[in-house]
Amino acid sequence: MKTPDLIDTLVDCATPVRPLRPPLVRAALWLLFAALVLAIIGVAHGVRPDLAERLRQPVFVVAMFSALATGILAAIAAFKVSLPDTSRSWLLLPIPTVVLWISTIGYGCLTDWVSVGPDGVRIGEAARCFASLLLTSVPLSIVMLVMVRHAALLRPTAVCMTGGLAIAAITSFALSLFHDLDATIMILVWNLGSAALIAGLAGVFGRSLLAWIASRLMPTALS
Amino acid sequence: MTGRHNRPPSLTVVPAPAADDDHREGGGLDWSKLMARAQDGDRRAYRALLEDLAPYLRSIATRCFKEPSDVEDAVQDVLIAIHVVRHTYDRSRPFGPWLLAIANRRMIDRIRRDTRRKAQEIALSTEHETFPDSVANLVAADFDAAALGVAIERLPPEQRQAIEMLKLNEMSLKEAAAASGRSITALKVATHRAVKSLRRMLGQQDR
Repeated sequence: MKTPDLIDTLVDCATPVRPLRPPLVRAALWLLFAALVLAIIGVAHGVRPDLAERLRQPVFVVAMFSALATGILAAIAAFKVSLPDTSRSWLLLPIPTVVLWISTIGYGCLTDWVSVGPDGVRIGEAARCFASLLLTSVPLSIVMLVMVRHAALLRPTAVCMTGGLAIAAITSFALSLFHDLDATIMILVWNLGSAALIAGLAGVFGRSLLAWIASRLMPTALS
Repeated sequence: MTGRHNRPPSLTVVPAPAADDDHREGGGLDWSKLMARAQDGDRRAYRALLEDLAPYLRSIATRCFKEPSDVEDAVQDVLIAIHVVRHTYDRSRPFGPWLLAIANRRMIDRIRRDTRRKAQEIALSTEHETFPDSVANLVAADFDAAALGVAIERLPPEQRQAIEMLKLNEMSLKEAAAASGRSITALKVATHRAVKSLRRMLGQQDR
């Protein structure tokens, strides 16, 4: 196909498009959706029974809110970086809170080390925990992928990694809000494990998923 | 100096092109305004924009690719990307960085893809070209099947039977022995003699 012919084709299918809202607004919309998902799960499942007591422990509070902050900052970074003409340094935005979040988990491990008992982990709680994990992360992932689909042609890996981190952090926040998994290993598995799993999956499959969603939903008749 | 001008060259004042909606002050098209109008569905503005962008993108692509076809492919790739993500252009921001970011991204992707493809491909050497070449495969065609048929017909009956069973019908010695009722050794001897006679007969013909 010659370039003038391609221009003819592109002009023929140039329907009016609505420019994207500013990235901060879009991040806020996504976070609003995340809050809605968490609220629904909270109503259905109820918060963990010992939440009030745990909120008095500084390490727990720091861990929980650094996860939340990571989620918020990573979401902002993902929406910023999904635009072609924004600086890649936005990727560094969630780094401080990620470091804080991971270091508090490590500290919790060390202090809780002794309290791991034979009945510290129950299968029933673990299964419910896994259900919450899916209920939170799956809708958030789908909405995120749809919202940043245009990045498929631009910076797919960077957007998938930051988007994945945002989802993982929000999921981790949700888990510590709803489930009383005090055992060190479970905290590690669920917090770091789920974060790593989601971020890893986003990195590996995000690119092709993004491309697939982009091909379905892009405002173009090109095929 | 070859001579002296009596009259100084006349200078005429050319009025600057009127700065309409689509033009910048320097005279070039204002891509930012064109894109804003294209986002609203103005196809004329969109066509003007894409036609004006193509040579600019080509000049960028020539720096990255040598083959003219690669350059044109890269230009088209960027044009398609611009079309697909045109809703990400923010009218309040300059058009240049947006365009360059997309162009760089797509060209880097293309270079990476090409490098990956080239790493998996091996250039054909002369051997690769020689073996599939038709000239290199004419040995079998030179073979005179009719002459061989006549020569086989002229063999003594035992030798002919052995050749037909073992060579033409590709039976095993065991199968041939069962079918003909002769021993394996007899078949082997007959085949050996038949080949020898055939070689002699065909060799004589050639001479």
